Amino acid sequence: MFLFALRRSALACAIIFCAIALLFGMIYIVPGDPASVALGPLATPEIKAAFRAQMGLDQPVTTQFFIFLSHVFTGDLGIDLFSNRRVTEIVFEALPYTIALTASGIGWAIALGVPLGCWSAIHRETWLDRIAGVFAVAAIAVPSFVVALYALLLFAVELNWFPAIGAGARGNLGDQLAHLVLPSFAIGLGWVGYLARLVRASMLEVLGENHIRTARAYGLPERRIVFRYALRLAVLPTVTLLGVGIGNLLSGAVFAEIVFARPGAGKLVFDAVVTRNFPIVSGAVLVTTALFTLCTLASDLLIAWLDPRVRANL
Amino acid sequence: MRRPHVTRRQFIEGSAGLWVTAALLPRAASAQGTSVLRVRSYGDIQDFDPAFSKAAPDGDVARCVFRKLIDYKSSTSWEWELDAAADVKQVDPKTVSFTLKSGIKWTNGFGEMTADDVKYSFERIADPATKSPYKGDWATLDKVEVTGPLSGVIHLKEPFAPLWLSTLPWNAGLILCKKAMEASGNRFTTNPPATCGAYLLKEWQPKQETILVRNPDYNGPKPAYDEIRIRPIEDEKTAEIGFAAKELDFTGASVSSLPKLKTDPPAGAKLAIRPSLAYVWLGMNVDVPPFNDVRLRKAVQKAVDVDAILQAAYFGAADRATGIIAPGLLGHRDIKPPPRDLEGAKKLMAEAGKSGGGVKATLAILNKTERLTAAQVIQANLAEIGIEVQIDAHDSGTFWSLGDQSKGDQWKQLHMILQRYTMAPDPSWAVAWFLPSQIGVWNWERWNSPEFDELNKKALVETDAKKRGEMYVRMQDLMEESGAYVFLTHEVAGVIYRDNVAPALMPDGRVILPGFAPKA
Repeated sequence: MFLFALRRSALACAIIFCAIALLFGMIYIVPGDPASVALGPLATPEIKAAFRAQMGLDQPVTTQFFIFLSHVFTGDLGIDLFSNRRVTEIVFEALPYTIALTASGIGWAIALGVPLGCWSAIHRETWLDRIAGVFAVAAIAVPSFVVALYALLLFAVELNWFPAIGAGARGNLGDQLAHLVLPSFAIGLGWVGYLARLVRASMLEVLGENHIRTARAYGLPERRIVFRYALRLAVLPTVTLLGVGIGNLLSGAVFAEIVFARPGAGKLVFDAVVTRNFPIVSGAVLVTTALFTLCTLASDLLIAWLDPRVRANL
Repeated sequence: MRRPHVTRRQFIEGSAGLWVTAALLPRAASAQGTSVLRVRSYGDIQDFDPAFSKAAPDGDVARCVFRKLIDYKSSTSWEWELDAAADVKQVDPKTVSFTLKSGIKWTNGFGEMTADDVKYSFERIADPATKSPYKGDWATLDKVEVTGPLSGVIHLKEPFAPLWLSTLPWNAGLILCKKAMEASGNRFTTNPPATCGAYLLKEWQPKQETILVRNPDYNGPKPAYDEIRIRPIEDEKTAEIGFAAKELDFTGASVSSLPKLKTDPPAGAKLAIRPSLAYVWLGMNVDVPPFNDVRLRKAVQKAVDVDAILQAAYFGAADRATGIIAPGLLGHRDIKPPPRDLEGAKKLMAEAGKSGGGVKATLAILNKTERLTAAQVIQANLAEIGIEVQIDAHDSGTFWSLGDQSKGDQWKQLHMILQRYTMAPDPSWAVAWFLPSQIGVWNWERWNSPEFDELNKKALVETDAKKRGEMYVRMQDLMEESGAYVFLTHEVAGVIYRDNVAPALMPDGRVILPGFAPKA
């Protein structure tokens, strides 16, 4: 297990390095001048040149890349071109909002998707199962920004149950939770569908296995068989799915952050790409890539711990 | 010892309780006694040091926390009123004297505002060593002479007409505390070392909220709200939803929403529509084919159906422009623009030997809905005279460097540009980008007119408003005669606000936050 964890961690580091190298190449291929955007139309060519020199933007891309990497090891992600603030500070201000949003989205998926899939499996081939199937597929098919807009109009504007914009007052947990409900529902709804279908299929497989049949033969209550013996095994594949799903939710969070005017890492990267704010793009992508890689690493290690056969495959 | 055990039922009940609590808490929190104004800004503050401020949201906050000698009045015409100055007057075309009000206090124990602070603030921007992009606002500043603790004289090297409309009441006129600035290295971004305005910057939550609270030491008219919360919301539609959900008291409205807001505004809301200072035009690069032929440029001028563009892209809410200087400003061209002349355009195409069509051209636009719609109308219009237009939509990072000659030869690929600039309320701001010295910088049409250049120089120092206005009209005539420009619109600025709020607005709809007041 230790060797597996070591190998998997080395692979995670390689993934982060490749992702950053790829990103660095891509953002410098795209045309655009951060100095023009940052300084506005009134800046003279001399002021722009001084700005580029000050920010190191006049260096070759490879030099900038290695300078960036060397700074990363000291925890320095550079300086924001626009506000002159430290990128680390800006990224770590935004990241908790995205983590909270992603975790809540997963929360919705687990809270609704697992029971729905389980319930469908227990009532398989009934009209209730079919309705649940239609709901699950519809939840997968509807884009999260559409869910976001309708959730806003219904629950914020018409019913006024939940707040529409922002992330809530700092230090007011209740307010922050209220501001999380709609955006997390918007990004989590699709995953409710995925989990429901996966858990249903997995449950059906497990419910047909010998030990379940044996448990029934012993006369154990059906409720105990389902929740104690079947569901425990059936949810294992969802661990892998959620590991990958976190990556999708992180990237999907940008829609929710724009529609609900929430701060967050997704919006931060989006704005930075548009304005060619390279230090922010590099810093934020490094941190989110590391986060995603850590999540998949954690899910892989969890699976390997639960199922020893997996350890031999890396 | 027993391990704490949470049953499934307890977990579900607990979670449900948490959400319900979350839903109720904010309502309880908002029911407090302080008067709070919640406004939307299109962007977050980035840097409100007057020498380096980035955008209008910086200026909005700076206006709340700093003072100027004079500031704009909340009005429908461009007028100013005294702010930090008890008296300010033009002694002669090159000299302005001022006296500060007494008792204007800086925060953080930096004492009273003095004429030294004024000298420091204005000369700092003019100083080439500061490398301020706003150096041009004080282009003719010679020096500020301090004649007493509260009095001084601004000496100009030559007359400077924009001083009263776009320098003193704009960002370049903000007064900083000399002692505090020197103690903090002569630079700040979002954490000013000392302020003196009607409001204090209480808290800045990046990308989420800027909270201003009333300055107890402010000696001007007492601001009406205890607290102003500015929320940066880039997307206008999101802001409109936030307003409909009663989470904002004031926001700008998108042009596409104006027709509906006029006929069916949200309950308890009011709509105000102001003429914008922005100018939108279709430009043609005169240095490369096909538009190096003036006949083709003039054919485009005649063929573009501006009224159709205004209907399609601006929902009929914006009026047609006659030039680059908006109505209400000195130098506005008060003419009736000619209607579309398709036959005239075809005739010009024939004269240029292009009656068979086959002319191909690119049209560069910023990737925004109304620009794309306008570009599609232009594409259809020009197809009728045999010009095949390829629309190239760019994001802002790419778009704003397309015509920059220092970036290489990409400007040679520019044929037509759908462009929008905005300006301070002095005509010099509108014409500054079309000078020969701006070719390859911001003059992407690369139109080179020595007469235009000469008129600009004269207009900057002309103190007779009538003569100055005539010069700017002539400059726009020259632009039109070149064929390189099709003037489209100045757009409109729509704002919505609660009916219990009396907003303080500049003529173009920009906010003067300290002037907002509750309405009975």
